[in-house]
Amino acid sequence: MAGKPPSAVDTRAQVDSDLGIEKREFRLLEWMADRGIFVFTTALVLVAALFIDGFASLANITDVFNRAAPIGIVAVGMTFVVISANYLDLSVVAQVATAAVVLIAVSNASSIPAAMALAFLIALAYGLVNGVAVGVFKANAVIVTLSTTFIGLGILRWLTGGSIYFGPPEGPIRSFGTTKIGPFPLSMIVLVLITIALSLVLTRTNFGFLVKSYGSNREATRLAGVNTAWVVVGAFILSALGAMLGGFVLAAFSNTAVSAMSTGFDFRALAAIIVGGTSVFGGKGSVMRTLLGVVFVSVLTNIMVLSGLGFGYQQMAIGALIVAAVSVDSLARKAAVT
Amino acid sequence: MNDHPDSESTAQESSVPIAAPIIEARNIVKRFGGAVAVDDVGIAVPPGEIHGLVGENGAGKSTLMRVLAGILVPDNGSVMVDGVRLEPGSTRAALEAGISLVHQELSLVPEMTVAENILLGSTPTRAGLINTRELKQIAAAALEEIGVSVDLDEPIVRLSVALRQFVEIARAIARNPRVLILDEPTATLTPAETDYLLDMLQRLAERGLAIIYISHRIPEIFRICDRVTVLRDGRLVDTADVAATTPQQVVDNMVGRELKVDLETRREATAPGEVVLSARGVTAKGVNGIDLDVRAGEIVGLGGLVGAGRTEFVRAMIGADIKSAGRVTITVNGREKRLSSYRSAVHNGVAYIPEERRTDGLALTMSVADNIALSNRHELSRFAVLLRGKIAKFARSLADTVGLRPPEIRREAGDFSGGNQQKIVLAKWLGRKPSAIVLDEPTRGVDVGAKVEIHRLIRDLALDGTAVLVVSSDLPELLELSDVIHVVRDGRIVGTLPGDVADEKSVMTLASGGTGLIGA
Repeated sequence: MAGKPPSAVDTRAQVDSDLGIEKREFRLLEWMADRGIFVFTTALVLVAALFIDGFASLANITDVFNRAAPIGIVAVGMTFVVISANYLDLSVVAQVATAAVVLIAVSNASSIPAAMALAFLIALAYGLVNGVAVGVFKANAVIVTLSTTFIGLGILRWLTGGSIYFGPPEGPIRSFGTTKIGPFPLSMIVLVLITIALSLVLTRTNFGFLVKSYGSNREATRLAGVNTAWVVVGAFILSALGAMLGGFVLAAFSNTAVSAMSTGFDFRALAAIIVGGTSVFGGKGSVMRTLLGVVFVSVLTNIMVLSGLGFGYQQMAIGALIVAAVSVDSLARKAAVT
Repeated sequence: MNDHPDSESTAQESSVPIAAPIIEARNIVKRFGGAVAVDDVGIAVPPGEIHGLVGENGAGKSTLMRVLAGILVPDNGSVMVDGVRLEPGSTRAALEAGISLVHQELSLVPEMTVAENILLGSTPTRAGLINTRELKQIAAAALEEIGVSVDLDEPIVRLSVALRQFVEIARAIARNPRVLILDEPTATLTPAETDYLLDMLQRLAERGLAIIYISHRIPEIFRICDRVTVLRDGRLVDTADVAATTPQQVVDNMVGRELKVDLETRREATAPGEVVLSARGVTAKGVNGIDLDVRAGEIVGLGGLVGAGRTEFVRAMIGADIKSAGRVTITVNGREKRLSSYRSAVHNGVAYIPEERRTDGLALTMSVADNIALSNRHELSRFAVLLRGKIAKFARSLADTVGLRPPEIRREAGDFSGGNQQKIVLAKWLGRKPSAIVLDEPTRGVDVGAKVEIHRLIRDLALDGTAVLVVSSDLPELLELSDVIHVVRDGRIVGTLPGDVADEKSVMTLASGGTGLIGA
């Protein structure tokens, strides 16, 4: 009686086809793209706490948060652009610097509310220009936002002449930048609040739903009768507002502003988003996970600083991280499709 | 002759060519997933012969040719050139053996020049650099051989569709083929251009090329082919000398089933309601002015061959693609509204089930519930906030209506089988209670069980008073569902058949333009 009778095998095949589901095996890559960030972040923090001198000190943790907050706020906003399958918003570099300079310079000359209002209008303009070019004219998001970065930084340098602006040594901006609740600087609390708010927007609102749907399949979304141009414009406006708040927080932290202060924000934010597990193919991702990605990238950077590895090494690490995360993302997608 | 195990079966072939064949395929089987596209088909073509290959849409013609050209690996069988077995699934081996395939979809690089395209993939080089002079010489020779004059430096984008087709052929010729395979080369050509192409093929055959010519157009087959092979549902029906057969015989073989639709499954004719969807003079790319009315409770079928302009028409009609002229209206509760854009069509109660469900119909990485919510988001949200509970309930009831299996609305749409994916697409729109629904190939790639269920859903829609327009290349389906069938050819309606009169033959005859020559 070796082997099963053929009828038993037939029955099982019948059951499978009745289910109508294509069988899928457990796949490591999919798992990594899906859940990896939780494990990796936890492991990294544990390793750092155990083996890196000075990591677990209160002062160092506050420092990590202070540096993580502006990039994190930028990243959670930009997450919407990535989920909409428009790769990334490079213009956050110009937007962060502009918001920072406007906050310090205009509040010095006039008032903080005026500075914030102007920065808000500028953010809206960025969002609209990027969004209309990409959403309405269907231009490539990378090239559009690379160009608006150039335009924005050009305008900023022309207006400021490259000078550094210092905030007053006493005042709301300065005190915002230095206040802490336990180990948490205010900026980190702002980041968490914004993350929660944007997470609700993404998962609970009509708009967030359409961003995801558009990123998953723009043609199917269009054919459902959706005004897809506005979905894209909305995503870029959220990204711009995130960049603006990131600029505010960055300026408050150092109480200074200069056009060159946000170099590398684009790729650090992207690293956080992708490492967090949001797919560059769009349609999949979460704001909460971007927050985890920010923690991961920030802790990694901090470990390198504490280990005496310079800026060059940090850059290399961020670059390598993006390549690795994007490759895992692609492989996981390929595995899921076939 | 025991060392030739195949010789016996070769001797049993019904129609044996006079000369030894250059190319011979034996017992080719090709499956895609569970579906058998080509089932034990053999074909042999000697030098100098033009061999016609005909069959309905989906009969397996293109698949068979892709096996011959080494693009697809057959599941069984072999391809021989001069009696030598070809490495399966190697386009390089096929090319080296002299097999050149002119694709159905143009495969030229639009931004590159004529000369560059002709030599694409076999560009002559000298010291690692492109040898432009030799490139142009070879390209010019290939064009001269087919008797077409076109500027070698012109980029393909600036060429007409017909010229592109000829460049495509020149590209095949430049490889010095011994076997030339053409897949529907005249589909986009005018009658004069078609004449030219057919004459050219005859000249090439006289010079000893073996040519396999795929076409839906029966008159063309009878004009240039020596023999004709008919495929149906992936199987070889007949290979015959053209001189010994008739166009009617070939059409019969293509269709096969003797009026297979039994009248039981046909719909009861219902009293037609008011006109709901009305199109006048719709003109777009591939659509040359179509008028059409669909009444409440009526199922209108659009028949025709692939590429006849049916999909283009329905998409232009509802605004999914741009139309250059035409007026389309929808009348609901006595109020006539003009459809000015796709969104206005959706807003006014039009539902559209696109031909390509995976690329146009579903967001595959999203759940069933989310896909259904996408087209019903206004009803399922309040103050722009999604009502998750309501969505789940709504989706569950629709999944139930369409018979989704398994009925797991949290699963990603991409996890489901083709038939169930199509049910999800239907569910997306059923929830809106559409006044008119346009379905493009509603059961393509769907298993038989799901097909029956989808047909039931379509009938139920009509019973509820929805105006239904169905595009289908599946003739039995079209006949079974439709109250009236319009046959489209070259972007025009060339005939209208009441559902109770239409049969496969009459539709096919209109669709292939066979009337002119059949019986002549």
